[in-house]
Amino acid sequence: MVEPESLKNLERAVLEYDASGAEVWARKAIEEDIDPIRAADVLSEAVKEIGDGFGRGVLFIPDLIGGAEAMKSAMRVLEAHMKRSDAQKRSLGTVVAGTVQGDIHDIGKSLVCTLLSTAGFTVHDLGVDVPAEKFVQAVKEYRPDILAMSALLTTSVPELRKVVEALTREGLRGRTKILVGGAPVNESFAREIGADGYSPTAIGATELARKLLGAKEENRC
Amino acid sequence: MLKGFTRKIRRYAILSKEQIEAIHAGTLSTLQGTGVKVDHIDTLKLLKDNGCDVDFEKRVARFPPGFVEECLRKCPSSFRVKARDPKHDVVLGGDNVYFKNAVGQMTVDLDSMEPRIPSEKEYFDALVVLDALENVHMLGPYTPYFGYEGVPPVMAIPTSCASKLKVSAKAQLEGYQKGSEIFCIKMAKSVGSEIVGLMTSASPLNWGAEAIDAAFRYAEAGFPISIASGAVMGGTGPATIAGALVLTNCEVLSAIVLLQLRTGMRAKVLSTTFTFPMDMRSGLPAFGDIGESLYQLAFNQIWREYGLPVYNSASGYCSSKKIDYQSGYEKSMACLLSVLSGANLVTLIGNVSAELTYHPVQSVLDDDVAGMIGRLVEGVTVTDETLALDLIEKVGSIPGSYIGEGHTRKWWRLEQFPPKAADRLSYQEWKEKSKKSCLDYAKERVEKILATHNPIPLAPDQEREVNSILEEARRYYKEKGLI
Repeated sequence: MVEPESLKNLERAVLEYDASGAEVWARKAIEEDIDPIRAADVLSEAVKEIGDGFGRGVLFIPDLIGGAEAMKSAMRVLEAHMKRSDAQKRSLGTVVAGTVQGDIHDIGKSLVCTLLSTAGFTVHDLGVDVPAEKFVQAVKEYRPDILAMSALLTTSVPELRKVVEALTREGLRGRTKILVGGAPVNESFAREIGADGYSPTAIGATELARKLLGAKEENRC
Repeated sequence: MLKGFTRKIRRYAILSKEQIEAIHAGTLSTLQGTGVKVDHIDTLKLLKDNGCDVDFEKRVARFPPGFVEECLRKCPSSFRVKARDPKHDVVLGGDNVYFKNAVGQMTVDLDSMEPRIPSEKEYFDALVVLDALENVHMLGPYTPYFGYEGVPPVMAIPTSCASKLKVSAKAQLEGYQKGSEIFCIKMAKSVGSEIVGLMTSASPLNWGAEAIDAAFRYAEAGFPISIASGAVMGGTGPATIAGALVLTNCEVLSAIVLLQLRTGMRAKVLSTTFTFPMDMRSGLPAFGDIGESLYQLAFNQIWREYGLPVYNSASGYCSSKKIDYQSGYEKSMACLLSVLSGANLVTLIGNVSAELTYHPVQSVLDDDVAGMIGRLVEGVTVTDETLALDLIEKVGSIPGSYIGEGHTRKWWRLEQFPPKAADRLSYQEWKEKSKKSCLDYAKERVEKILATHNPIPLAPDQEREVNSILEEARRYYKEKGLI
């Protein structure tokens, strides 16, 4: 099938990290009655190409984020025209993320959120300095598949354990996989507090999220 | 005579006058237009009362250029920091050059290069080595590790402060977390010393309440403040050197205004950089990147023109995970350029892998680098004696030789800097002596220091007082549910 001009331009806009252009071409595609699912597939392909470039070492984090932002601005347009069921089907899963209380480090956590949403997860970013109660509330509200938490200070690391304990107390621990990260965190600490996974990098966190949900699907079978 | 080095060579300058003016003008217009978030209501009121434009809802203050420059002008260009032993006092400013240690969250096993939490003995051994090294003039915060086995994270700073006072009479800097400065100030005062307190921004353009409270407490105790921007180029600050300078200078200058208002224009400020590029593959700090040095060279030039002492805090950190060629060039180049361009205090000693690990063997190797840089900036002595015209006349042509001359015996030691942990043997000797590397020599030097060095202890009553303040800190954090 010949790709319509608007979809070619949509793809180019993402590959050129042009968020406003991507939004314009997404609208154009909708005006032309192109199936939003088909347009979303074009976006995914473009972002995958950027991801491949990162994997080959020719593209870098600003490129990943630039592509992700362009994709997000186009997806906002497309999702408004998708059936709710189609949008849900496209999502790999729901993630709630945040930096724990007492810690305002944002970059690592935001990077993880961006890469997860680019990979196809629905992400609810609670921000920084998030108290345990707010994480619990968000887990009740969004019923996420994954809760991703970050701590960069040695003094904020104990908060990770606090959140896990709070979720357990509320009977919410079983339904959500917990992923932790941040400079002072490591694999053995993650295991010790009962988290399901730890990743030292944002890219690794996306892979881990896929793996954890794969495992979850298998468990469900 | 005080320790440290004196830079006798011209400071290396990389910016033109026009470039400095453009960066300064951009800084003042950003302070006046964009402003800085000050997450501290009392301070916002103080700023408002003193002519700043304050948006209380957004907690953003905008600063009139004239007032910023007045606050800057009233900062002293140099000041003394009292150590426990006056011979270790440092005078930050002028062309004085000092080195301090870096820190690591943990120690590292030198065979596997795996990090692990140090034991209490390893923690204190590392401090004893720092006390013994002659080119370490100040001890940094969290020194040398973020605590040891059994120390709760919230006690890391009070423990570090008490341990440094017990093991070393050298001057020190200290950080803050959850009110730890209250106890550090008490400890320092109890032994008659001072602390340079840290104040670090949460970039971009943001001063958090904890940093402000801590800096005010240190300043009100009469202690100097090291104001550092924590911007990461390409992450929490612009990727360009010029843009990063504007942003970080806005942060440091705005903090100077806060401190000057709080202290009635009596703040002692050490303008500090802890800014480096972001590694664009990992998102981690690109310690040792040449962009970090370019930024520091420019920062140092500007702040020396502003007339303040300068501290380069990121120079001694490296991205290499091992003690190897990469760690050697990352640390040495950054620190050399820092000192050449006017830094008064430079972090160099002991860090192995970014902020993750520290090791005393590395501190011994870095001590040699500090000594070499210090020797370099002391420059070339040109006098009748060093010109040696009479000696040249006396020795004449070949087969004349200088090796047995008194002039050689006196001057070679002053002109060279023989490193203590380096291999300079002939090939044959090297082969016969187990083919040792600098790492082997450094390990031997650490062992020798630990076997022979005796730090000056605190007087018994001082030690009791420091222990009692440490216990008070423990009770305070227990009551707050943090232990």
